[in-house]
Amino acid sequence: MVTHLGATRDRGYHGYQQSLRSRRGPSRMSRDGPPHLDLASSEDEDPPSRTPQKLAMPMGIKKAVRQLQHMQVPVSSKRTRHSRALKHFYAEAKETLAILIPWRKAIHKIGGHFGGGVQSYFVFLRFLVVLNFLSFLLIAGFVLIPSVVLSSPNNTPSIPNGTNITGKELCMKYDHSPEVLPVFYTFFLDLLSGTGFMEYTYLFYGYYSNTVAESKGVSYNVPLAYLLTASFYFLFCLVCIILRMGNVVRVLVTTGSGGERGYSARVFTDWDYGLQGDRATGLKQNTIRYRLQVDLEEDRIRLRAASLSPGQTVGLYALRALLNLVVIALIIAAFFGIAEATSFSQREAVKWTGVVGLLLEFLPSIVITASNFVVPFLCDQIARLEKLSPSTTVIVALLRAVFLRLVSLGVLLFTLWSQITCSGKADDTDCKICRYNSAQYQCWESRVGQEMYKLTLFDFLTTMVLLVLVEFPRRLLVDHCSCKLTRWVGRQEFLVPPNVLALVYGQTVVWTGALFCPLLPLINTIKFFIIFHCKKATLFQNCRPAIKSFRSTSSNFFFCLVLLFGWILSTVVLIYSMAEIHPSFGCGPFRFSPTMWSVIQASIDNLTKTTQDFFNIIGSLAFCVPLFLLSCVVLSYVAALASVYGKSVAILREQIKQDGRDKQFLVKQIKDLTRILGVPKHEEDQYDPGASWGDHHASASPPQYLPNVHSFPSASHY
Amino acid sequence: MGGAASQLPKEMVSEYQELTFLTKQEILLAHKRFSELQDRDSLSSRVPMEKILTMPELKSNPFRRRICHVFSTSEPNDGSLTFEDFLDLLSAFSDSATLEIKSHYAFRIFDFDDDGTLDAGDLEKLVNCLTGDTDETRLNPEEMRQLIKNILEESDIDKDGTVNLSEFQHVISRSPDFVSSFKIVL
Repeated sequence: MVTHLGATRDRGYHGYQQSLRSRRGPSRMSRDGPPHLDLASSEDEDPPSRTPQKLAMPMGIKKAVRQLQHMQVPVSSKRTRHSRALKHFYAEAKETLAILIPWRKAIHKIGGHFGGGVQSYFVFLRFLVVLNFLSFLLIAGFVLIPSVVLSSPNNTPSIPNGTNITGKELCMKYDHSPEVLPVFYTFFLDLLSGTGFMEYTYLFYGYYSNTVAESKGVSYNVPLAYLLTASFYFLFCLVCIILRMGNVVRVLVTTGSGGERGYSARVFTDWDYGLQGDRATGLKQNTIRYRLQVDLEEDRIRLRAASLSPGQTVGLYALRALLNLVVIALIIAAFFGIAEATSFSQREAVKWTGVVGLLLEFLPSIVITASNFVVPFLCDQIARLEKLSPSTTVIVALLRAVFLRLVSLGVLLFTLWSQITCSGKADDTDCKICRYNSAQYQCWESRVGQEMYKLTLFDFLTTMVLLVLVEFPRRLLVDHCSCKLTRWVGRQEFLVPPNVLALVYGQTVVWTGALFCPLLPLINTIKFFIIFHCKKATLFQNCRPAIKSFRSTSSNFFFCLVLLFGWILSTVVLIYSMAEIHPSFGCGPFRFSPTMWSVIQASIDNLTKTTQDFFNIIGSLAFCVPLFLLSCVVLSYVAALASVYGKSVAILREQIKQDGRDKQFLVKQIKDLTRILGVPKHEEDQYDPGASWGDHHASASPPQYLPNVHSFPSASHY
Repeated sequence: MGGAASQLPKEMVSEYQELTFLTKQEILLAHKRFSELQDRDSLSSRVPMEKILTMPELKSNPFRRRICHVFSTSEPNDGSLTFEDFLDLLSAFSDSATLEIKSHYAFRIFDFDDDGTLDAGDLEKLVNCLTGDTDETRLNPEEMRQLIKNILEESDIDKDGTVNLSEFQHVISRSPDFVSSFKIVL
């Protein structure tokens, strides 16, 4: 019985193997040579298209295979030549287009030496430089150049018909020339703070007038252009950010948010074989080691956290809540400081001149910058007590820093607003006549623009001063003096998150000030350009490769998200200034209009009746409400689609796991069966990898090409 | 480059183009670089491993010795390469090589003891190559043990304590950027 069973089993087994091989028969090109030329490539590939290229064999065997192929089938290589030429063409085209992108080589070099996290910072900076430059071109084309070309020589404001300016002569006073005799350093002070000679220039809102130039039937309405350009500039920036976010999100979703990658995938695929040089290799090794250690530690922490007693867990959460309260208290203290400094500066700065006046002018900027250094540092120390996992700590620290920066800017603007509009109270003595505080602010838009200009400049100065006075000397000290302190401090490490937040803060300031200081995007382009080169220089000269690297794919998305928050803040400011606050009577293109937005209404009135009706219909409720409902419907459809895709991705992931379990089950079955049926030794030798090494050519295929696990489920001979 | 082309006959170049994933320029460049490494110009002569490892593309690669051993066709397998072995190497690491080829050769590179499977010893040597093989850069034994346990748990489907080629290729197929990182370009 046993032998009969064994015999049939033998025959069946061999027969199975033979039939399997005959199914792959056409692949056995050379009956003489190594039998298993068929790779893990799909079994249903037609033989003629399996080129010898795709064999994982030494050249000698490939040549033999090719000869046999030629003898059997006339190889038509026209198609392969054609496809190859097409591929070549695409590669060339991509190469030429890539030349247009600035700083490509520099960023590539940075990525190779310092890793993806640092590279993503520089990519983000390049994006901002290009964005600012395009914005400047927009503004220059539509506002600056027409103003320069069309400005009348005496610059008297043309009073449009129908405006009542009786009693408002006080409001129309705008005295922009300095009252004191110019001292030799006044030029320098004015340059820094935007006052004096710089105030009444194209730099600030106050210089533009409400000219409506008409010639030969073509008219150009400067106020309208100003307003529409500002709005379009914001929309353009929004579109750019969203496009960039879309690209990043697409990458994130397809790769499935990197954390899912298991240890095996990382260990097998993480090495980059293109790295050259000991420095780059050392960096990569450090990165890999750090990531592995961090993840292993997070696993251990998770295990330990799961094993905490309830009392300990409650204690931990209570401690975290308390520490969060401390952090919030710190942030609120910073906000108070900023508000006080702003109101103090606005009140006192006009009374002082010289260096003291300069310091008072810059007081808000100084307080904001100081708080942006001190508070995150304190928060970092506090975070150590919270005992969160390393990646959560990084994210929490970033969120706190973002909150601090953007809201402190908001506090500054709120303080300014309350001073300009007397906290919104229209009946206040200062604000009754002109609807804004004309005693203190003869041209409040220029003042706001000056504040933003000062913030930008101070930010730039701080960065440069830090570079020159801290980073370079630190490197010199560490390199030449080898006392214990310098060895402990070590070389500078390029920390990505604080640098990115500085960029986002700078860009938000520019967006907020663009309406009041039209040349600010140009100043920002130059500033970011210089910062790019200086940061690159300090990176290569002073910094050591970071051990802790910032994950680049998710960080790109985070940078764009934070930038979007900044955009939202500045849009709120823009809309409020355009719609609610009364423009200055003494300066600017919107004097004599009740609000900036009313210029649009006035110009619509000048259009033909049909266009007016068209705009009226669009603006009316009967149109807006259905439009709003329609966009709600579209939004819910898209959200439903996204959730369906998310569910199908989850189902597919489950399916992959299920496949793995199926394989394990089937392999277990095979093992049990082979054990029960008692597979004889010589059969097992065929699976013994060591045996067949020496049989064939010196580096013949390992016997893994024997019927592998993949093919078992499809065997119908079971 | 023109001088090198005259040494490598045109039919051989087109034959190599068909047998590997390299373009004509890459083959000619490979020939030029290979001739610089050898003493006399002959296609069948072997260049010893030490000379191959002086190439900047391989000099700092932690897997350089394994790469030479895998592609070498010499009898005692001392890691020396002929020009055709060199082309095989470049073809497997080229832009256009398929995932199957790359994963096959990656498996053989990681198989330090050449037994056809990746066992715990192979995995430990692999991780040491990845993190740096000095005392300060290795993982400590506890972390190494935890890591190897996790790797085998994730990728060893038949639970025999080793990762064979199919399991390896299964893991690789789920990593989209393996193809772009498994690349050496002269």
